[in-house]
Amino acid sequence: MFAELATLLITSVLLNNAVLNQFLGLCPFMGVSRKKSSALGMGIAVCFVIIAAGLVTYALYYFVLVPLHLEYMELVSFILVVASLVQLTEMFIKKTSPSLYKSLGVYLPLITTNCVVLNVCLINISNNYDIAHMLVYTIGTPLGFALVLYIFSTIRERLDAANVPTSFIGNPVALIVAGLMAMAFSGLAGII
Amino acid sequence: MNRMENFKNGLIKDNPVFGLYLGLCSTLAITTSLNNAIGMGTAVIVVLILSNVIISAIRKIVPDDIRIPVYIVIIATLVSIIQMVIEAFAPALNTSLGVFIPLIVVNCIILGRAEAFASKNGVLDSALDGLGMGLGYLLAVLAMSFIRELLSSGGLVLTNPFNTEQVWMNLSLIPEEFRISLFSSPLGAFMTFAFLAAALTAYKSHAAKKAAAKTKEAK
Amino acid sequence: MDIGNILMAVLVFGVMVCVYIFLYLMNKKTPKPEGCEDLRADCSGCKDFACANHPSHHE
Repeated sequence: MFAELATLLITSVLLNNAVLNQFLGLCPFMGVSRKKSSALGMGIAVCFVIIAAGLVTYALYYFVLVPLHLEYMELVSFILVVASLVQLTEMFIKKTSPSLYKSLGVYLPLITTNCVVLNVCLINISNNYDIAHMLVYTIGTPLGFALVLYIFSTIRERLDAANVPTSFIGNPVALIVAGLMAMAFSGLAGII
Repeated sequence: MNRMENFKNGLIKDNPVFGLYLGLCSTLAITTSLNNAIGMGTAVIVVLILSNVIISAIRKIVPDDIRIPVYIVIIATLVSIIQMVIEAFAPALNTSLGVFIPLIVVNCIILGRAEAFASKNGVLDSALDGLGMGLGYLLAVLAMSFIRELLSSGGLVLTNPFNTEQVWMNLSLIPEEFRISLFSSPLGAFMTFAFLAAALTAYKSHAAKKAAAKTKEAK
Repeated sequence: MDIGNILMAVLVFGVMVCVYIFLYLMNKKTPKPEGCEDLRADCSGCKDFACANHPSHHE
């Protein structure tokens, strides 16, 4: 049991990484990786929302939708939960901690349309995870996202100084870097 | 005329995928085969046209304050319907696209067009815009999947999505020893995308230079 | 699928939409803390139209 959960954790953080292997959350990955500080802010905000959304949607599905035979409303209700949670988080941070709002506030509205969030909620259900697996997967995936986003932003800061062919300046060369990172991460497959 | 121009811009110059970098997630993930690309492209076109039409039709009734929540609800409902239709009539496509069908909800192109175009323009214009942008997306995924499938598996396969036993096209063009399986991996996806995007940038700057030279001559 | 199930679906859907719209409006009404009134200026801007910070939302 423990070994299985550890494997799931390593898989969701490194081997089946949300960005590099599943291509999820590429919009914020490209958009918010120009500076290390913003990458870190986005990473933390995503971790927070995913963990909250994963728990709420899991509870909603098994305690409300299944007893009422409303499984077909999965998608609509999940996106509503994610969007509501983003609003709630923003409101909460605004009221309690202005300094936190200053560093994370800009990234919160972007999270509603971050595919990683919805993906975690849907996979928890479609893979029939029990509570332990659900917790590990819900925590592991955003950690992997934040890790890769931060590493990518450190590379990108150096990329600005590099001599790149004109047509590749900006996003194309950043995508090639992401591809090379994906190759490097695939080398980690040996650890399991 | 203006309408036509708008429509054409979505296809090449302001291509939502290569020009604006929207909807990257699904573009990179599902372009391992031509079949997936056609299925996904069609689903996105349908959702985009319907959401644009509905949002443009109700744009005067919806209070400005709750615009975005209303758009999200409409788009999520439409995607649920499309997902059920695909599940019922093309189960093979449903398995191969997997979670990326429900993820159309958070595809930036759809909410982006709703917000930037359909909420300000008439029904017909919005439908055309949806079709143009949707075709731009389809074109992008077709180009990506054509390159990736051809180079990684050496051929192109097209099957009837409603009946997988019916194969429409099965070409084998590259002999086995020259195939590059790298192109089916994530690295191949990122590389193909980067080169196509760079090609579009190069084409645009070339066209801009040509236009500038032309106006100079005219003066 | 009986009528009760459909009614339940509409009810659940309605409640969730109401919760979302309520939270959305509440959040909009909550004033931004001092010094954060114009965070948008700090956002270098990706091309994600769906983000509420995108310039196309605030013309």
